[in-house]
Amino acid sequence: MNIDNFRRAVLIVGLALPMSWTAGSVAAQTARSYGVKVSTPTINQTASSAVLPPGADMVTNSGQSIVVGSLVTAQDAFAIVTGDADATDGSNAVSSATLGAVSLLSGLITADGVVAVASSTIGGNATGSDAEGSSLANLVVNGESVSYPAPNTWMALPGVGYVVLNEQIPTGDGVTTSGITVNMIHVVLLDALTGVQTGEIIIGSASSAVGN
Amino acid sequence: MFKLRTLAMLAAPIGVVLIASSCDRQPGAVAPGIGKPLAHFQPGNFVCVPVKITGGGRIDYPPEQAEKNPPASHEYETFGAHVMGSGQQDANGVCLADKGALEWVDHRPEMEVNGHPLNLHATEVTFAEVATDASCTDGAVHWGGKLRVQNTGQSDLDFEVWDCDNGEPGRNDGFAISVPAIDYAVQCFTVTPADPTCYLTGGNRQFHPTH
Repeated sequence: MNIDNFRRAVLIVGLALPMSWTAGSVAAQTARSYGVKVSTPTINQTASSAVLPPGADMVTNSGQSIVVGSLVTAQDAFAIVTGDADATDGSNAVSSATLGAVSLLSGLITADGVVAVASSTIGGNATGSDAEGSSLANLVVNGESVSYPAPNTWMALPGVGYVVLNEQIPTGDGVTTSGITVNMIHVVLLDALTGVQTGEIIIGSASSAVGN
Repeated sequence: MFKLRTLAMLAAPIGVVLIASSCDRQPGAVAPGIGKPLAHFQPGNFVCVPVKITGGGRIDYPPEQAEKNPPASHEYETFGAHVMGSGQQDANGVCLADKGALEWVDHRPEMEVNGHPLNLHATEVTFAEVATDASCTDGAVHWGGKLRVQNTGQSDLDFEVWDCDNGEPGRNDGFAISVPAIDYAVQCFTVTPADPTCYLTGGNRQFHPTH
């Protein structure tokens, strides 16, 4: 499953299920995480990726050393996704992506520990999603040390584009569906002249979604 | 004084019998004898019934606390884990697991193997018993089996976990692991939802009494 298909799957859980919900409908969950994703006109690569297929309980993937051209180096990437669709007792999905030292764009952005955790639950009296447990260690962006970036912290990268740190994208209606995607470092590459997006780099991504 | 001593001598055996009988293990809920002392997961208070527990997340250990350590310390563990059992016992009374999985990554610098995080991977999940007195509101499971140390290739190592779903969201849930053969344990015996589990600092455990 490529990233676009996964996004569609999350969207279906997050948006389509509430519209089709009736008593007795089938519970669903999706979970995906990956260490590194690079999309440019010449590179389309996702490394250390785990996707939870329907009916599965857990999937893992890892890579000790990841190099994507001159754009990304990363160490010790682990992706773990787990979940269960249970109409009786409630459904859950948890995904995590962790990395050790990372360097983007020849050192323009560095960190020595990345953790992305996405968790979604539905059932009983609770429905919700969160990114608790996500963190960045010793993050430096364009020479500036950044500690504990708030969700969706935006920083310009002159001549390159911009970066969103601790990006959190919720999905679902919070009642019959709930989901979240957290991207710890999301660089958007822009054409210096036109401002048109030319690509993106994501480091440490975790997504989870549930529906009932 | 004599009467008191006599009374104590008579009462002591009765007390021992009462305590011993109260600790009788539930029929059929026997885990392999690799455990360490169980606090909130009281010895004897297990039942062999259908069960499933799923999810994963993050623990910041040590110290034994519910808050994240500073990210730069790298003092945390991440994991995914699930187990399912149908309440069947083998001839030895072990409460069998039907299936399960565990992936455990310890990111602490002091636990690195050849410069990489310690990575434990379950190769077999053999038992799962439900704890009936674990102070976990939604449910708790003691389960385990065999695992492999991915960094070194050491395999067939016994492991056991203590798994606690303490309601939603998952920050009050608990998890602990022990691998005696390599003297490895992440266990918290104070201020936790159910000793020896450590608070999750991210993620969620979900107990499914029926499945």
